[in-house]
Amino acid sequence: MSLTDWKAYKPVLIPNIKDYHKIDVYEKHGGYGALKKILADQDTLTPQHVTETVKNAGLRGRGGAGFNTGLKWSFMPKPDGGPRYIAANGDESEPGTFKDRVIFEFNPHTFIEGSIIAAYAMSITTVYVYIRGEYRSWIRMMEKAVSDAYERGYLGQNILKSGFSVDMVLHSGAGAYICGEESSLMESLEGKRGYPRVKPPFPAQKGLWGRPTTINNIESLANVPLIFNNGADWYKGTGAATHPGPLLYGISGHVNRPGVYEYPTGMLVTDLINEVAMGVRGGKRVKALIPGGSSTPPLRGDALDGVRMDSDSLRQAGSMLGTAGMCILDEDTDMVDYLWRVSHFYHHESCGQCTPCREGTGWLEKTLLKIKAGDGTMRDLDLLLDLCTQMEGRTICALADAAAWPVRYTITRFRDEFEARVKNTVYALS
Amino acid sequence: MAEIFIDNKRYEFEGQTKVLQFILDQGLELPFFCYHPSLSIPANCRQCYVEAGQPVLNRETGEYELDDNGERVIRFFPKLMTACSLDATDGMVIKTHVTSELVRRGQKDILEFILINHPLDCPICDQAGECPLQIQTYKYGPEGSRFEHKKVHKPKRIQLGPRVVLDAERCINCTRCVRFTEEISKSNQLTISQRGDHNYPITAPGTEFDDPYSINTVDICPVGALTSTDFRFKARVWEMSSTPSIDITNAKGCAVDIWTRDNLVMRITPRYNPHVNDYWMPDAGREAYKIYNENRISRPEMVVNKDSIKTSWNNALLTISEKLTGAETGKTLVFASAYASVEDNYAIQQFFARFANTTVIYVPDIKPGTGDDFLITDDQAPNSSGCKLLGINEVDADQAKGMIDSGTYETLVILQEDLVGRGIASTESLTQYFSVYLGTNNNSTSRSASVTIPITTAAEHFGSYVNVDGRIQRTLPAKETLYTDRRLDLQMSMGRLDHYGTRFDNWVSDNNKIDCIPAWEFLVRLSHEMNLEFRYNEAREIIDEIALKNSSFAGISYERMDRELGIALQDQPSKELNPA
Repeated sequence: MSLTDWKAYKPVLIPNIKDYHKIDVYEKHGGYGALKKILADQDTLTPQHVTETVKNAGLRGRGGAGFNTGLKWSFMPKPDGGPRYIAANGDESEPGTFKDRVIFEFNPHTFIEGSIIAAYAMSITTVYVYIRGEYRSWIRMMEKAVSDAYERGYLGQNILKSGFSVDMVLHSGAGAYICGEESSLMESLEGKRGYPRVKPPFPAQKGLWGRPTTINNIESLANVPLIFNNGADWYKGTGAATHPGPLLYGISGHVNRPGVYEYPTGMLVTDLINEVAMGVRGGKRVKALIPGGSSTPPLRGDALDGVRMDSDSLRQAGSMLGTAGMCILDEDTDMVDYLWRVSHFYHHESCGQCTPCREGTGWLEKTLLKIKAGDGTMRDLDLLLDLCTQMEGRTICALADAAAWPVRYTITRFRDEFEARVKNTVYALS
Repeated sequence: MAEIFIDNKRYEFEGQTKVLQFILDQGLELPFFCYHPSLSIPANCRQCYVEAGQPVLNRETGEYELDDNGERVIRFFPKLMTACSLDATDGMVIKTHVTSELVRRGQKDILEFILINHPLDCPICDQAGECPLQIQTYKYGPEGSRFEHKKVHKPKRIQLGPRVVLDAERCINCTRCVRFTEEISKSNQLTISQRGDHNYPITAPGTEFDDPYSINTVDICPVGALTSTDFRFKARVWEMSSTPSIDITNAKGCAVDIWTRDNLVMRITPRYNPHVNDYWMPDAGREAYKIYNENRISRPEMVVNKDSIKTSWNNALLTISEKLTGAETGKTLVFASAYASVEDNYAIQQFFARFANTTVIYVPDIKPGTGDDFLITDDQAPNSSGCKLLGINEVDADQAKGMIDSGTYETLVILQEDLVGRGIASTESLTQYFSVYLGTNNNSTSRSASVTIPITTAAEHFGSYVNVDGRIQRTLPAKETLYTDRRLDLQMSMGRLDHYGTRFDNWVSDNNKIDCIPAWEFLVRLSHEMNLEFRYNEAREIIDEIALKNSSFAGISYERMDRELGIALQDQPSKELNPA
């Protein structure tokens, strides 16, 4: 499908079918077909073959980093008889991101099927699903879906009499953003405090309980059955060439119709705002767009023409695809206020393990609070940028970067607003 | 051999090593807080930043790629790396703060961050003077702070357990204490609670930090967040002198430093000895300062008309020599002691060998079940193995009691052993004898003895002790007695106050010098009185003689003990002493 006729696109991740979350309906529409196909023909569709297919389809992780999923699977060492794990990351907690919960709600079985295929591809027998603790109702939905899948024999011992077994374990988080980071997710699963681990060793070598582990986003795994149902070529041909496939766009902010929409990757930002989300509330102009969750650098509203929602185009525009959780801010938004609120989030969610993030996030917030209250000076703006330099790339995980980027890019791209809010102070030269 | 270049200088290394440990091993400096050689590496303080690069290899030839000048092409990591978690690889190039402006900036940035929520109460903080944060801030930190907001407030003065107090505001979240309880003492009693800049270590609700090794966390705390309940606010670091010694409260003999001020032991901290205790020691060993300071016997005491009175050394010597000369052959029972040093035990053994048919025995003090498989032993005394190797007769408590109650003996000579306290003798049974007690502290035995001779503790003499694993280590005098002077004895350590203090200083006086002498020296004086040939001038002469005469101790000397952190004796004492 080319990108011009996106209006004709039929959703496949969250298809427009009533009660698709029920296992009967899912099966009736060909659900678990990819799994059956693979397990019935294990001689040609070997685990290596499955991994290669996913790799060649070009599926890139939907959790934010955009790493090739099949390539990640191929990093797993050869089975040595000991346990190995998949940890499915459903801890989506970043402001502006709410796509996984749509999968939990409307199409849990695609995800379950994808997980089983992934487990098969990596010879894994246990899949942990880590779901954000605040998603109480979605955890219950998943519990139902998983128990249905067990009942029908898609999970458990000797799946579909193929000799292959997988168990799926649901795990609820306890309300920490940091547990969405893959290594602290593993710590949390192990029952420890959610502190990110130092890499290397990488999870594929030493993951959960010191055993090889692959961590995939929920949406990435939900994409896997699509590749086998429709073929890798179809997948590769959908959306942007370097970043193909269907994508869940979570659109929020000052638009008329916020929500989660499925379209191919590489959609024009303007199409998404003006047509999919039916324009900005009250016909106002866009002041800023945060393309992929609060940690991605905001783009100026007057620089959105021609920007597409794929990693290459967004990198060119000066931001990142992230989780494709788009947040639109209209012309009335106070950027100082916005930035303070984002900083407040990262200050609240920093785990406090490494120094730059623990202390830096607090300092950023306090300084922004001062500017917001009208007590800031020009010097504070430079200080904020300095602090960003001191935090970026200096910590174990990427939370410090996630906290620093919005500050750096909001200030550089909307500097006039910040300057208008601070006092012009004259300092004596010393 | 693999090579590594640190600040343009070439070093060689073998096997696997982390860059920070390698740098420290070379005697170079790199600031750090969270790293500890015996604990896991969390890399959370981010202080040990370096620039690191690896040479580029030509894929076809496998040779190093060279640039136009013939130098190796180095590909540097794009970010600053923490040296503590970085594996050294062949050909690696490291730039520290010595050569890299970026590293200097990185280290300064981290210190600025750490200090924004640190209370900076150094003037009243116990850690001041030996505080890595203080030292490294002076060396590598920013000159001031750009932080103009209110600091985060956290709980202060939390009694974590019976022996450790927490000031959460000072904490820099290095997690050394948490890792200690997880990895070394394995009590898992501490964890970090809260999140972000509100983080601090604490016990689980309703539990207390009563780990028998809890005070080690105070030692490894890089700031003053954890302080010892006992030592808190007692002394500043720069007022004390430290003397290497060993722990005498059990048979493991952990290497320690004894910190004294004005001849009082203020605290005892572990000293690194990989053969015995690594960096750690049990809390009980730190309580030994009470043995050294409190309730000491000073000047000889004698019972006259049922009253115990202080007497002169001459009087005490005369009385004892008269009694011993008059004692019937075979009627003297001598208690050597597992609580006394090898030198003292040897001296008493040799001295009484001159009296025919005198019985010399020692009674090991073993309480089964009190030890663990780490640094606490069932054996309560520091030198049972030494007594055994010296060939002193070992009798158990019941046998010893039987010997005292048998009425066979007329005279008792007791070295250090608290016979009454241990239930081997009763006050009544002791009064049947003419008894000489050579002891350090007042106890029920000293109060029952006919003559009490004050002797030196491990903190006041040169003495060696053989631990449960057969390793002989020695102590050095940390405190002066009335007869020693650290300005004259070059082997005694001198802190700043000892060097330069005058009587007008608060902490320089003669008040805390005990009137006591080593047990062997007393025996030498006694031999003068009794015209016996028994001459030693210093403890060193005794240990040299033992080394020559006793094959178990062959080849030992104080110098070797110092240099090799104790010597493992060939003749291993039997394992019965500490049934593991």
